[in-house]
Amino acid sequence: METASELATRLTRASRKKVWDVHSAFTWPETLAQDAWYMPPELISIYGTAAYDALDDTQRRKLSLYELGNFFSLVLQGERPLVQGLVHRLYSKSNTREITEYLHHFVDEENKHMVMFGEFCHRYIGKVYPEKKISLPREYAKGEEEVAFFCKVMVVEELGDYYNLEIGRDERCDPLVRELNKVHHVDEARHLAFGRLYLTELFERYRAGWTDEQLAGFRSWLVEYLRASWGDYYNPTMYRDAGLADGYELRQMALSHPAAAAHRQRASAKIVTYFIQNGLLAEEPRL
Amino acid sequence: MMRRMEEAQARNKLRDWILKHAKTPPGPAFSDQTPLLEGGILSSLDIVEFVLFIESLRGEDVDVDDIDPRVFTSIDTLHAAFFAPA
Repeated sequence: METASELATRLTRASRKKVWDVHSAFTWPETLAQDAWYMPPELISIYGTAAYDALDDTQRRKLSLYELGNFFSLVLQGERPLVQGLVHRLYSKSNTREITEYLHHFVDEENKHMVMFGEFCHRYIGKVYPEKKISLPREYAKGEEEVAFFCKVMVVEELGDYYNLEIGRDERCDPLVRELNKVHHVDEARHLAFGRLYLTELFERYRAGWTDEQLAGFRSWLVEYLRASWGDYYNPTMYRDAGLADGYELRQMALSHPAAAAHRQRASAKIVTYFIQNGLLAEEPRL
Repeated sequence: MMRRMEEAQARNKLRDWILKHAKTPPGPAFSDQTPLLEGGILSSLDIVEFVLFIESLRGEDVDVDDIDPRVFTSIDTLHAAFFAPA
């Protein structure tokens, strides 16, 4: 079986073949069309609820733009600590030279993604939505912080990739938006391939030293992290910016609505299956 | 514009939210001084939801970059940080 080092060598080659310049890759129009879809309606966070049904077509399309701005923002906000963590791991003694070499490309590509998402949000939304996470100190079992870091990487990238694929291939959506999602997906496919194998190796290395209680604690953190990550898709400020009243109540309604819950289960299927197959989760959580 | 709220009302709303979301039930001695995080009543992953709830009470966004994590110590510190008159 291929090791993470061997895979890193292949991915480095692929990254070098597909190198691109974020500053010249896209043509940014002055303004966006008001009547376009920016996200397929089925991906809109309140789709399938009475609140969505009550909107007229213009309001739905407007909401799709702010939902996309929120999506790009939350991916960007997830990529910030990711880059920080990857840089911290460059030239680490526990990594091979091949892995460090690939991490340079990983960082480079994530930086470009932040540039393109930031550009879109500043131009057309007027801001990047801030994240509300506050980092608090906690205790870890040996290696748990490392495993948790790569789990976070996988969650932000796998959930984001589900949206990238859906938006990228949906002909109803604005062409620039489809292109941004396609470009992101191509790079992310490599990051995910690396992340899956690297995290599997990491977990195997450290899991043996954890007690059953520590493993249970880790798994329950991971379920909570998945739920919290989904919570970012239901942003009260985004609803308000799209002209909808009572954003906080709308979030609570959507989070507990069966249609939205079914969407979250569907969109999480790939990452949850990976976590279960590799022992990071014991069973499918309700998200 | 921040929405003003009576002190007792704000404290009650914070208490109700914490009781509803507590990972570890706080028990009968729960007070406005009970440590929320070190006591395991709330986890760091609850903070995002809690901040959004606080924003909905205040009617105004909270800039988390300006927040010292110690404001989540207890209901007393939360009230002082988010609801006490400036």
